[in-house]
Amino acid sequence: MTTKLTQNTNRIKTVVTALARNQWFFVLVVLIVVSVFTHSMNPRFFRLTNILNVLERISVLGIVAAGATILIVSGNFDISVGANLGLSACVMAILIRMGYSSEVAVALGILSAIGANLVVGASSVLFRAPSFITSLACISVFQGTALAITGAQFQTIYGRFEVLGATRLFGVIPLVFIVCLVVYVAVFVMLYYTLLGRRVHAIGSNPKAAYLAGINVNANKLIFFAINGLLVGIAAALFLSRVGSASATTGQGMEIRAIGSAVIGGAVMTGGKGSVLGTFLGALLMGVIGNSLNLLRVSPYFQDVSFGVVLLLALGVTSFSHAKERRGTTG
Amino acid sequence: MGEPSTTPSPLLQVHGVSKRFGQTEALNDVSLTLHGGEVLCIVGENGAGKSTLIKVLSGAIAPDAGSVQVGEAVYESLTPAEAMELGLATIYQEVELIDSLTVAANIFLGQEPTQRIPFLVDARVQNARAREILDTLHIDINERLLVEQLSAAQKQTLQIVKALHQESSILIMDEPTSSLGLEETRALMGLVRRLRERNLGIIYISHHLEEVFEIGDTVMILKDGRHVGTYPCGEVNSDFVVRKMVGRDASAFFSREPAPIGDVAFRADSVTWNGIVRDVSFDVRKGEVFGIGGLVGSGRSELASILYGAARPDTGRIVLGNRELSLRSPADAIEQGVCLVTEDRHVYGMFPERSIQENVAVVHNEFTPCRVVGTRSEAALADSMIDKLRIATFGRGQSIMNLSGGNQQKVMIARWLLDEYRLYIFDEPTKGVDVGAKQEIYALIVDAARNGKCVIMISSDMPELLSMSDRIGVMREGRMVRVFDNDSDLNEQELIRYFMGEEENNGDHEAHTEHQ
Repeated sequence: MTTKLTQNTNRIKTVVTALARNQWFFVLVVLIVVSVFTHSMNPRFFRLTNILNVLERISVLGIVAAGATILIVSGNFDISVGANLGLSACVMAILIRMGYSSEVAVALGILSAIGANLVVGASSVLFRAPSFITSLACISVFQGTALAITGAQFQTIYGRFEVLGATRLFGVIPLVFIVCLVVYVAVFVMLYYTLLGRRVHAIGSNPKAAYLAGINVNANKLIFFAINGLLVGIAAALFLSRVGSASATTGQGMEIRAIGSAVIGGAVMTGGKGSVLGTFLGALLMGVIGNSLNLLRVSPYFQDVSFGVVLLLALGVTSFSHAKERRGTTG
Repeated sequence: MGEPSTTPSPLLQVHGVSKRFGQTEALNDVSLTLHGGEVLCIVGENGAGKSTLIKVLSGAIAPDAGSVQVGEAVYESLTPAEAMELGLATIYQEVELIDSLTVAANIFLGQEPTQRIPFLVDARVQNARAREILDTLHIDINERLLVEQLSAAQKQTLQIVKALHQESSILIMDEPTSSLGLEETRALMGLVRRLRERNLGIIYISHHLEEVFEIGDTVMILKDGRHVGTYPCGEVNSDFVVRKMVGRDASAFFSREPAPIGDVAFRADSVTWNGIVRDVSFDVRKGEVFGIGGLVGSGRSELASILYGAARPDTGRIVLGNRELSLRSPADAIEQGVCLVTEDRHVYGMFPERSIQENVAVVHNEFTPCRVVGTRSEAALADSMIDKLRIATFGRGQSIMNLSGGNQQKVMIARWLLDEYRLYIFDEPTKGVDVGAKQEIYALIVDAARNGKCVIMISSDMPELLSMSDRIGVMREGRMVRVFDNDSDLNEQELIRYFMGEEENNGDHEAHTEHQ
């Protein structure tokens, strides 16, 4: 009887330690705790409309965060994604207002996002500078360009491009969220089942070793940035369709929440390691916390506070679990 | 042993210090005594434990056993701050100065003279005092120059001045002349002599035996982490010292299976790069293990980088098979059939966060048309390598960081066993590897040779070089100064003489068949 009990507890222990090593599991636990707590305070939380609302609201952030995950795992940072998203959305809105079809506008807007991201990547490669710095410089370039082409005016396109934002699959599921899911599946497959994904991990883990293993580090870095640009472009289209207008300030602050979601999900700031599932849960957690604070009638300013606190906690968890790992190897 | 009997109580004593790093005994029960006004030279091969001993004295590492005694006080281990306070100053090869400050400011760093207005440095007083200090030591450096404008030798000198200013009584100099020219070396020697007259204790580490006999009072010999002996420089000669530095049990050597040797398949012709590799020519035959020996910094690893396409030679030709190779990148080299097991796997080889499977398959994936990874066939490849090389692991998914050094190195080699290459370059193949894994790695190298590949093996491990190589090329200061046939006449003593540039005084290799 007792042996069976210890056997069982042992088995539970191994499962728990295995899960505890994955940061996404922590995020999931926090997510459940927050949800249950909010529901007990306000039963509207678990209503279908509310849940769909949350999913719809995190979709744009989620797609940008997926791109941020690729870059962080590859050892890069792009803090210009917010400005890039704004510029791309402005390009699309202007083209639509000029009378181009929404397909053409979206295609050109996505191209502008890819091009802008390639500028960030190429300057990092050419000047051998960290992409964190080159993207910092690019923020003002992108914002300035957006200001110039919009004449600092809001570009409203109400009613002319709602197909992405307003469509509900089977009358319930927002198409925006479906796009987000598709992006996550694609990024997951890319990162874990393609050669390109291996290069992301290898270059992020040890760029010198990657070069000596025959990987063209610079060319691949540009590809990663192009992919990130593509995702930013897609996110810009979804955003524009949902909101119906764009301006030079569109997307501001997005980079912090995107990188934050990836870090909350377990991406390591030094590269080489990260989890797409974790990033998704990180973005979801952001959405759920925002929604909970709304439902609990907490001042919206506390949303920013709560985001920062969760990010700090996540960093704490990461460093704690890494310290354990390090002790494990030397012991 | 030869200790100067005239001097009273010693400045510094080290009692039975030991230090292990994993499987290797870096220091084993090493003791030394240093008096004021004494220059104690420490010599030994690469990896004899000199650096570890210095690190113990400078407080960079704590020994496992033994103690350090400065004057009357005994310490089990030192911190860098304690070492400095006790007057132990270490002058490292890499200069620790602040480039953007002036010479004077560097000397007074952390104890700047202040003006009457608080927090303002009195530059005038500082410069004047720096001038005084430099003058008393007969050093001709302008105290107002920025450190970045100084030459390597001047920086080295400035480090010494700084240590003196901090009233250090013991100076530890780690190969201070390695980056200096002839004139500069002379000047440094003169400075060391003047310091000795001021009754400082000096520990001087050098690969150059001429320097040792020029300025040393006593010479201490380390070998494989053990203290071989300490002798007054006047009573011994370089022959004696070299003999003591080498010499090992026969058990350190081993016999390998011979491989049939074919035609010349690889040739390097006057390869020159950046003043670090100079006019190197040699060839390797099929089935041959060509060993390359030399001191650390002799240009061996840079030569490997060139042959692997990671550095482009300024001049020279590299021929493999019947084709001249023009390598623009490692990727080029791999495609042409050249592979390299790098010198430092942590820096140049491993993807530490990634699994064994990913670490093994990385090159194979990169050079096969298939773009899909993580498949069963990739897993099978990883498993077959884990089996074949007997890599001790929980499974192919385990992170490479959590393996022992020997198993990590096996993974690095496994990378090149998934496909066929024509030239295998091993740079320090058994560094940080335990004895059992060493034997297995040797077997893999011999396997490559027996399969008719060309093998180049760079090594600092003398028994390894002598046991494995068919021929041995010695590199010194960027040149391949001599290629030996590895016959029974060749011994460690002979090789180390060539490593250190002592052979000119001692005739050719036939004249020295005397054994330890």
